[in-house]
Amino acid sequence: MISFDVSEVIRSLPELWIGLEFTLILVFTSLGLGTLIGLLACLGRLLGNGLLPWFCAAYTTIFRGIPEVVLMFWIYYCGPLLGGVRPSSLIAALVAMSLYVGALLSEVFRGGILAVPKGQVEAARSLGVPEFWVWTSVILPQAFRVVIPALIGVAALTVKVSGIASTIGVTDLVYQANIIAGQSYRYFELFTAVGIFYFFILFPMSMLAKVYERKLAMRSR
Amino acid sequence: MEASSATGPREPSMAVHLSQEKPGVWQNLRALLDVPSVVLTIAIATALYYFIDWSQIRVLDFGIVLKYWRPLTIAAGTTLLITLGAFAVGLLLGVGLAILLELRIGPLRYVINAYIEIWRNTPLIVQLFWIHFGLPVVTGISTTALESGSLALTLQSSAYLADIARAGIQAVPRGQWDAASALALPARTKWFEVILPQALKIMIPPLGNLAVSFLNGSALLGVLSVGELMTVSAKISDYTSRPVEIMTVTALLYLAMNLLTTYLTGRLERFTGRRP
Repeated sequence: MISFDVSEVIRSLPELWIGLEFTLILVFTSLGLGTLIGLLACLGRLLGNGLLPWFCAAYTTIFRGIPEVVLMFWIYYCGPLLGGVRPSSLIAALVAMSLYVGALLSEVFRGGILAVPKGQVEAARSLGVPEFWVWTSVILPQAFRVVIPALIGVAALTVKVSGIASTIGVTDLVYQANIIAGQSYRYFELFTAVGIFYFFILFPMSMLAKVYERKLAMRSR
Repeated sequence: MEASSATGPREPSMAVHLSQEKPGVWQNLRALLDVPSVVLTIAIATALYYFIDWSQIRVLDFGIVLKYWRPLTIAAGTTLLITLGAFAVGLLLGVGLAILLELRIGPLRYVINAYIEIWRNTPLIVQLFWIHFGLPVVTGISTTALESGSLALTLQSSAYLADIARAGIQAVPRGQWDAASALALPARTKWFEVILPQALKIMIPPLGNLAVSFLNGSALLGVLSVGELMTVSAKISDYTSRPVEIMTVTALLYLAMNLLTTYLTGRLERFTGRRP
């Protein structure tokens, strides 16, 4: 058995830092774009009529039902069909993750809006509250409170999914760890370090989600 | 007499209904042609016309998929088997862990909680590399890709399932626990005949969601080339250099498996009477 060599991890910190930057780019960009896409898809499904809700529902079902790895490879390879240029692996990963997160978030938002008791909306409308204020001061604040745990869950999932971008060659944390470990064969040390790192990001998030869930349960009792 | 009085008032209402038939059709048409839909259709048509490289689309040959239908089907079966196996073993482990948690045996609780949190809060891809490349260095036992892949999937699913099982057990009404102790039921009867059947019923919807997410997660085993759908389709698309066709079909296969899982979960839920 080889002894656990922390110095190897410390020596490769600069490379891991580059990886961390790419991971952060992936997470924040896809969360931002995903929120936008999710909001549009959710509103299209709830408020639109005709083809629009059907289209949004199809988008949600398809992008939630395809594994993230397959989605990334698919967009990476299908890029040339759209516009004729092969996307860089970072762009492909960003597009895939934004679409995936958007699909997840549209369901979360929809669940939150539908969870607002019907009586609240009816009361506001019958009191003659303008439709804009029905949304901004009755529906959305209540919906937001309900979806906080799910939102944190989606953010945590995005962090986990970002590691998959290494499979199409984005130099994120997992990719860098793999390269360094391949050179020195210190897989155990490096992946333990990377795992601990992810744990320190994800564990507080899941604890926070649990706290909010408990708060909600207390209020609804 | 009675019949005529019954049909009497119905006559005009029928007429009204018939006369409303036409506006109904019109409303449907108008609903199909409202402004956002028209904008959406025009946007999609424009995108199709200007951005898509039709010369490359014309070269696509989905016939290649038919040529490789046998390995693809076998690989899809392997994916289902690996997921199902990991899920079944994970369910047993998870329920066991949840029971141990509920028994509150001293410090064991902290160990189990740490286990659950560690597996739940690290990405599967890191776990895969850690088990496949990291662990053999320490233990000296080298595992094949299939073994490490299934092991990672099983351990992760056991952690998620333990969490779900814990919530399910706690959701069994207090009265059931009290009744079981009031009747002085032995621990085995209490758990296997009173608590667990009800807890499992409560657990079905989150179990279905988890099954879908593990089916998706199993595609990640392609990183270690385990021999399931993702590995095989990556190999075929490398060999034939037709990745677009193969990846599209692979994505559709995964989508079909996921939709099937969702449908079956819904049926199971209805069957056990949780939903009408």
